[in-house]
Amino acid sequence: MTELPFESIVGAWVATGLTLLIFSFLYKDNPLFKLAEHLYVGVSVGYVIVKTYDTVIVHLVIKPIAENGEIALLIPVAIGMLMLARYVPKAAWMSRYAFAFIVGMGSGLAIPRTISSFILKQVEDTIRPLLSLAGSDGVTFSMNLLNPASDLNAIIILCGVGSVLFYFFFSIEHSGAGKVVARTGVLFLMVSFGAAFGYTVMARMSLLIGRLTDLIEFSDSSYGRPTVWLSLLIIGALIVLARRSREQPPDTH
Amino acid sequence: MSFSERMLKIDRRIIFLVIGLCTLLPLLYPVGLPIKISSEVLGVYDHIESLPERSVFLLSIDFDPASKPELYPQAIALLRHAFKKNLRVITMTLWVSGTGMADQLVTQVAKEMGKEYGKDYAFLGWSPGGQAVIINMGQNLYSAFPSDYGGRPTKELPLLDGVRNLKDVGYMVSLGAGRPGVEEWYVFGKDKYKFELGGGCTGVMAPGLYPLLRSGQINGLIGGLRGAAEYESLIGQKGKAVAGMDAQSATHLAIIVLVIMCNVFYFSLRQQRG
Repeated sequence: MTELPFESIVGAWVATGLTLLIFSFLYKDNPLFKLAEHLYVGVSVGYVIVKTYDTVIVHLVIKPIAENGEIALLIPVAIGMLMLARYVPKAAWMSRYAFAFIVGMGSGLAIPRTISSFILKQVEDTIRPLLSLAGSDGVTFSMNLLNPASDLNAIIILCGVGSVLFYFFFSIEHSGAGKVVARTGVLFLMVSFGAAFGYTVMARMSLLIGRLTDLIEFSDSSYGRPTVWLSLLIIGALIVLARRSREQPPDTH
Repeated sequence: MSFSERMLKIDRRIIFLVIGLCTLLPLLYPVGLPIKISSEVLGVYDHIESLPERSVFLLSIDFDPASKPELYPQAIALLRHAFKKNLRVITMTLWVSGTGMADQLVTQVAKEMGKEYGKDYAFLGWSPGGQAVIINMGQNLYSAFPSDYGGRPTKELPLLDGVRNLKDVGYMVSLGAGRPGVEEWYVFGKDKYKFELGGGCTGVMAPGLYPLLRSGQINGLIGGLRGAAEYESLIGQKGKAVAGMDAQSATHLAIIVLVIMCNVFYFSLRQQRG
């Protein structure tokens, strides 16, 4: 059997310990869970700050200016620095220029592309399957119920889109035929929520499977069985904490 | 207190235990339930299969360790497939919190497949700006990533010979756990620079991406751990995703049973109360 590198073994112990500390919340909220939770937040933020500093400040700003003389980079740096003016009350107004730049650029980039991609393309897809450009006659109606793989689905989607849009149209009272259409819309919404919930359950279970797979792997003797030892340790700690909290009722003041 | 009432007020820790056992037991004693390949996963696989050797394949690893159980197996399967097809693999991330993990992932699979850095694959790392990075890459890849993750100038990488921007990419897949992810790659990338795009995502995001798949805005979608298992089956290298499928089926069954039981108890209680 090949020996594992020391860092892999340490990593296994840390990962197992933190996973079990987080899982201890399933029993009840406790200081061990809080410790792991705070560690997670702290490490994540610290990692992002260090990576951002190294990539942006060092590699994209300082090095190109110092080594290649790319002075033009000072313009975005200056705009970025204006953000910090918010911390100086007298100069806070200057940060508005930086925000204006970001909002303007962001909106300019996002609005046309989003309309094109999510509204126009989707509208086109909702109505296109019922029509086709065939020969010199131009647009022809090509609906064919005998081909459920394409046209029947297209009709269902069209009914769904139409009825859901009608459900959210509040200028007309939903009565008579309108009530039937609105109810159909609700049914489509229910199916959509159900599908979304099903996928969410699958995703959450996948996360659990991922952690348990690692715990099983780390119960191996090549890692020093951290799953076994740390499980015992954490269960013991939870018992001690439960006894202590029973002896010392929580302060109600 | 009636039986229905007692069951509806059951200690939630018993449910946690049931779900935990339903997950753990199939992982320890796998049954090997069959995995059916869906057309959306096949879309990504078929496109990579159709690419000629040395085509440029761009993989954006847009997730961080929080989504690792679902997306890591997808990334491993895609990289193995691309390396097996002898494609030129460019990898990057739009998530700063995922850089270290992405680097480890790419290096591990490349080493396993015997690929050479700079010639067969490269990891460009992370660049700030999200959607702006995609637009920048569409105009000039070298201005978006002047250097790779290790600090080597990207212009010196033989892998990128003939690659100027996103238009020179044969196929691009974004494995996204949120924003920026698959949607941004479509909106600011494919829609503008016209390259073929596939997606991989967490289970939570999959229903939201199906409209893009149907309309042909993306040509394939790998959804969650299930999608990863399908891809592993397609390339014939079964890994962690396939191993987790029995557990996934068992927990789904347990949840369906729990939902039915809750409804039965709820309606019987309502009937008792008149």
